[in-house]
Amino acid sequence: MEQDNILVMQQVDKSFDRVVALSQVNFELKHREILGLLGGNGAGKTTLMNILYGLYRADSGKILLNDKPVTILSPKDAIRQGIGMVHQHFLQINNYTVLENIILGSKVSRPLTSNYQVEEKAIKQLCERFGLEIDLSARVETLPMGTRQKVEILKTLYRGVNILILDEPTTNLIPQEVDSLFETLKIMVREGLSIVFITHKLREVLSICDRISVLREGKNVISLTRKDASDEMLVRAMVGDNMNLEKSVMFTTREQSAASEGREQTLTLEGVSKINSLKIQELTDISLSIKAGEILGVAGVAGNGQRELAEVVMGIQPVTTGKVSFMGKDITSQLTTERIAEGFVYIPEDRLADGFLNKTSVAHNLILGYHKLEPYSRKGIINWKNVFDSSRKMIAEYNIKTTGPDDIGGNLSGGNIQRVMIARAFSQPSKLMVAHNPTRGLDIPSMDFVYKKLLEHASTGASALLLSEDLDELLLICDRIAVMYRGKVVGILPRDKFEKYEIGRLMSGYDLESK
Amino acid sequence: MTQVKKIFPYLVSVLAAFLVVGILLWVLKFNPLKAFETLLFTSFRTPNGFIQTLLKWIPLTLCALALTVPMSAGKFNIGAEGQMLVGAIGAAAVGIIGKDLPIGLLLPLVILAGTAAGALWGLVAAWLLYQFNINEILSTVLLNFISFSLVDFVATGPWRDPAAGHPTTVAIGEGGFLPMLVKNPPLHSGIIIAIIVAIAVYYFTSKTTAGYELVVTGANPRASKVHGIDVRKMFLFSLVLGAACAGLAGAIEVSGVHHRLIEGLHSNFATLGIIIGLMARGKNSAVPVVAFFISILEVGGSAMQRTVMVPVQIVLIAEALILIFILLSDIIKRRQK
Repeated sequence: MEQDNILVMQQVDKSFDRVVALSQVNFELKHREILGLLGGNGAGKTTLMNILYGLYRADSGKILLNDKPVTILSPKDAIRQGIGMVHQHFLQINNYTVLENIILGSKVSRPLTSNYQVEEKAIKQLCERFGLEIDLSARVETLPMGTRQKVEILKTLYRGVNILILDEPTTNLIPQEVDSLFETLKIMVREGLSIVFITHKLREVLSICDRISVLREGKNVISLTRKDASDEMLVRAMVGDNMNLEKSVMFTTREQSAASEGREQTLTLEGVSKINSLKIQELTDISLSIKAGEILGVAGVAGNGQRELAEVVMGIQPVTTGKVSFMGKDITSQLTTERIAEGFVYIPEDRLADGFLNKTSVAHNLILGYHKLEPYSRKGIINWKNVFDSSRKMIAEYNIKTTGPDDIGGNLSGGNIQRVMIARAFSQPSKLMVAHNPTRGLDIPSMDFVYKKLLEHASTGASALLLSEDLDELLLICDRIAVMYRGKVVGILPRDKFEKYEIGRLMSGYDLESK
Repeated sequence: MTQVKKIFPYLVSVLAAFLVVGILLWVLKFNPLKAFETLLFTSFRTPNGFIQTLLKWIPLTLCALALTVPMSAGKFNIGAEGQMLVGAIGAAAVGIIGKDLPIGLLLPLVILAGTAAGALWGLVAAWLLYQFNINEILSTVLLNFISFSLVDFVATGPWRDPAAGHPTTVAIGEGGFLPMLVKNPPLHSGIIIAIIVAIAVYYFTSKTTAGYELVVTGANPRASKVHGIDVRKMFLFSLVLGAACAGLAGAIEVSGVHHRLIEGLHSNFATLGIIIGLMARGKNSAVPVVAFFISILEVGGSAMQRTVMVPVQIVLIAEALILIFILLSDIIKRRQK
């Protein structure tokens, strides 16, 4: 019987402090299948798999591997028992070659030399067997994300696993790379592996998985085969009953963009370039403009200058050459505070480093940047009563889970920290919102809420610059999408020209490289 | 309940420190109970003991604030010693030069000159940080050494008091003396200034926008910068403000206690200030309370040496142990998570 369970987890419980992450979760993986583990952020998918991979210990519950109960003490132990995991963030050494990265930490045949011929041969065989085309002598940092991910997969294959867990593997991949990853997964299953595919993206599970399990708030919701699954069922399972799907932005298609011709331009960038202190060219000759009431998306693989673009617009970093203007006024040398006073709002990408104060209260966090404005303060004196009042309102409206405005920031979870960012940004009437991955770490109803807020914001005639690694998000709500590659804008597409693969092609820098 | 929970680790730390010191005393064949009794109750047994405690409290509070104010912005001022000495020099200089001025003029001038001189000394380190990104811990410590020589230079120069056997200047004009609140035992009015400063610092950091910017800069400089706060200016400002507190401490020592510049007037106030500031975990509002506790130990320590013949160093050991145990309780708390 080929369709027997290779792995079963029974009644797994796990809590962190008082937060229950998993409660009585059951999980089954059959031989030679791709199982989609679906759920929004905070549903417990990664926690469950981290238990399987030995990173966490379950509070209670059983793990059966090939019908035998096992305990998994550490990732090393997991690999020994044939379970491998590829995390969302790759654990690679940038300036090592592919080969070196793969064999790093494993036993080699000639330990005192750097002669890895035996290993190289073994890895080449694996590549052939699984149809992975990777140059083993290339340095990892020179490779595109899709290839780096394959290196990561190869790393686990080399260690002889037969169960592979992939945590959100399509983050940061362009559509073409996603297709290629899926091909690889199919070959792997044919070669006898069993795969767990963790994701929050519906379309992906429907296109690749044999079976789908949905988790929500740390509990099993449904498990079914692809044949029996439908879009709507899965959405309902993921979001629960307390979300009105008809009124949602995410699951309805937006009609033609609102920003019509003839609206005046608000933000304009002309030939903006930026060279940092290490003499690295971060932005090259960027020219963009956003109209009133328009949402301009910026697509690109992470690290292609999006963050620098956002910071240049906000005045956090100076431009080297070029001109930034707003409402016809040159603001190239304007300070960040002045821009904030003019109605600029920023949701930074790296919320922990750039957006959040761990050591101070939630109220401190909610007024950061706007603390000089009424009603928060007058003549240099902060009115804490007003601050606390509006903090309580924001906590309620944005569903921030905290004990109150005087709770210390460090007590908040990632998703709630993100909600603080969102609440802070939307608490102010703004003219230009710069939002970088604003929905990262949010569950589906919250994501939808953010989209609604962004559209509302646009409908008041304000502009928005939405930088995101989630292409679906951009396609959903942007009026135009600019694609960035290596600090350049390589294309701008209007809404009626949105096409996933075209954007993917631009994101990969294909056009530039071939010229 | 939460208040009790918050104070609990401190209580345990103090008890544990006393336990260790008690064992040490016992091994050294002293009577620990008698020693502790002297240590803790000398301050409250006689009016003199209490006033001695208050006199210690003034410079200790100010020196601790010299640490905690910059700490609010995430910077470490280890140079309170130097800033206090330069403050004392400034105060003495103005007091000597203007010795014939009336009190209404000379006293404020002496106090302000001392504060300004301390601030200026802090500004050297702050400016090096602002302009060249030179680590303030290093620069403030190194500036301490310069200040020692500066005191020697002033106290052995033209203002030297030839009658004194120790590097000392002549007295400042009487108009520069801080008036006495209590004649015998003497308590000068510097305590009022220190209380006002402690309250002002608390008000500033918790109620004003500038203070808010200081605190958020300390919490996360990068996020503060992203949200439009000029964090480098905040660093500069916090160091100068802290240094001004230390300078004020120096001025008060000159104007209230010695009435002249004496080499060594800084005692160990700055070192204890660091201990106090760390015990208060950088919380400006907790500094006066912790400083009072340490003042009790300091006064009790010298009494202990006189009556029970226990070396005064044992107090420093106790204080250091308390701090170590408090820091340890942090680690334990983190482990429990």
